[in-house]
Amino acid sequence: MNSSAQTGRGLAWALVGPTLALLVAFNIFPLVYNIVSSFTNAELIGGAWRSVGGANYARVFEDELFAGALRRTALFVVCAVSVELALGFVLALTLQRDFKGKQVVLTTLLIPMMLSPAVMGLYWNLVLNGNYGVVNQALSALGFDPPQWLTDRDYKFWSILLIDVWMWTPFMMLIALAGLNSIPTSIYEAAQIDRASPWKVFTRITLPMCAPVLGLAVLFRATDALKQFDLVMAVTGPNDAATQTLSTLLYQVVFRDGSVGLGAAFSCVILVLVIALATVFTRYIDRVQSKDVNA
Amino acid sequence: MSFLQLEKLRKVWPGGAVAVNGVELAVARGEFVVLLGPSGCGKTTTLRMVAGLELPSGGTIRLDGRDITRLPASERDIGMVFQFYALYPHLTVAENIAFPLECAGVPRAERLALARALAERLELTALLERRPRALSGGDQQRVALARAMARKPAVWLMDEPLGTLDSARRAEMCDFLRAQQLEHGVATVYVTHDQDEAMRLADRIVVMSAGEILQVGPPHEVYDEPAGLFVARFVGSPGMNLLEARSTGRALELAGARAALHFAREVAPGNVVLGLRPEYVRLAASGVLTGRVALDAFMGSHRYVHVETPAGRVVALASIDAPSAQGEQVGLEFDLRGVRLFDPASGSRIA
Repeated sequence: MNSSAQTGRGLAWALVGPTLALLVAFNIFPLVYNIVSSFTNAELIGGAWRSVGGANYARVFEDELFAGALRRTALFVVCAVSVELALGFVLALTLQRDFKGKQVVLTTLLIPMMLSPAVMGLYWNLVLNGNYGVVNQALSALGFDPPQWLTDRDYKFWSILLIDVWMWTPFMMLIALAGLNSIPTSIYEAAQIDRASPWKVFTRITLPMCAPVLGLAVLFRATDALKQFDLVMAVTGPNDAATQTLSTLLYQVVFRDGSVGLGAAFSCVILVLVIALATVFTRYIDRVQSKDVNA
Repeated sequence: MSFLQLEKLRKVWPGGAVAVNGVELAVARGEFVVLLGPSGCGKTTTLRMVAGLELPSGGTIRLDGRDITRLPASERDIGMVFQFYALYPHLTVAENIAFPLECAGVPRAERLALARALAERLELTALLERRPRALSGGDQQRVALARAMARKPAVWLMDEPLGTLDSARRAEMCDFLRAQQLEHGVATVYVTHDQDEAMRLADRIVVMSAGEILQVGPPHEVYDEPAGLFVARFVGSPGMNLLEARSTGRALELAGARAALHFAREVAPGNVVLGLRPEYVRLAASGVLTGRVALDAFMGSHRYVHVETPAGRVVALASIDAPSAQGEQVGLEFDLRGVRLFDPASGSRIA
């Protein structure tokens, strides 16, 4: 082996080294630490650890807390993403053609997406406040008996969902708009020549040609909604049985209750779920990409 | 009786630019008509008005006696091949070809069988399950043609369909298109800026410029008897030789010519433009004009010899037997049967 090959190898390690070190320090070590803690009775306030075997995992699967948070998160992801997709797509269809003031409308619609979720949570706290909120004042003025949006256990989950929809529908609209605009006019002209009805054009041309990019948008939003944390924290706090998601449950268990061992077990189970979902997503992305290349 | 009829067809763009200005054209059943002209001459806009993709600003379009001027494209009985094919990228070749039938409500099994039969005739069978992006340009073109044929429309419209193909493929597709058109006997309007394509395909060529029709006629007529300077220059490659000359009534005087040319017919005295196709000009030891050979272009079966003369540049058709004359001093002999005269001011034909 000559010296230039050795320098090359040294340089390679020098370039990759820092990243590797960071990866080990902030990804690999915490992961291992987490897995180890999940089999102990570790507490946030310190003290000696003791192995408790699979006891924490047994609690994860017996505890109604975890099953409830999982159900709630799943419901949240499905509802939020599908409503945002449908609304965003309809908005995109309406905003597709040119009209006067289109830029203003578009910009206005995009504002919610640009704001911090924590700020949005506080803002909606004011808007939906049971006594002095704008919504309830308006409803009272119209003669309705307004519900307690943020405190009634039948309503608060849906209120958070509403805020999420309000924030993220513009994102879906933006992506859908990009998808719609990427369909060449000549395709629509060909469809006209082929005597396609408007419905046929929508179901056979517009929708399928937008589908790959909409699929990606759904994927992004689903990953995001899965981690739902800030809105719940801002609106109801982490320990509300009606709104607790997986992320806020973890927060509650580890940082409020101080049960590091149990929290670690929770997060390991969540990790397995996330890996399973991520596999499905990457498969989908691979399919979209290969379609782009060969199809 | 004409099948497709355009009367005083006009198109003015919102900005006020006139794209098509009073086009009159009658296409017979089974006729292949080519709209020929440089880009921006209004040929594509005319075609798109016939297709129903642009609304005319004025005039009438009749198909088989029915006024279709204001009908949407989907209510006209036409098939169209687009310049960049406009195939549906997410559908297979079979589904693409069957799409017009799908829109007509033909059941799935039946329409796919029809698509398969059509594909067989166009040699597309092996590609039926592929998607358009996996096809070569020529194959995409054939799929687009098959789709245009599927519903058996009354008229085929083609917008520079061969523009993106290489020249060998283009010549092949030209002959293929013409064969298909003759076999089906469908009235066809074809748009191109390529005069070779036009002459190869057309029953009649319509030469357009600046939104107006300059001449309509069979290819040989447009080639031999151009109605004006524009057509003389645009049709044929190379175009007609055009030289400034003076008429003295019985004879034509050419700058630098050894003798006046004796023209068979009386022409009013004054300035004229003398047009003569290269095949009527011969290289000779001593001729009417002499000059230096600026370019000797070998074309395979013949050569075009470009000669710089005092009267202007003249292109002569020469056989490939003679050696290249590049740079040499040569004489040119004119065959006066080929002489066409134009008015230099208006560009119109005098004789």
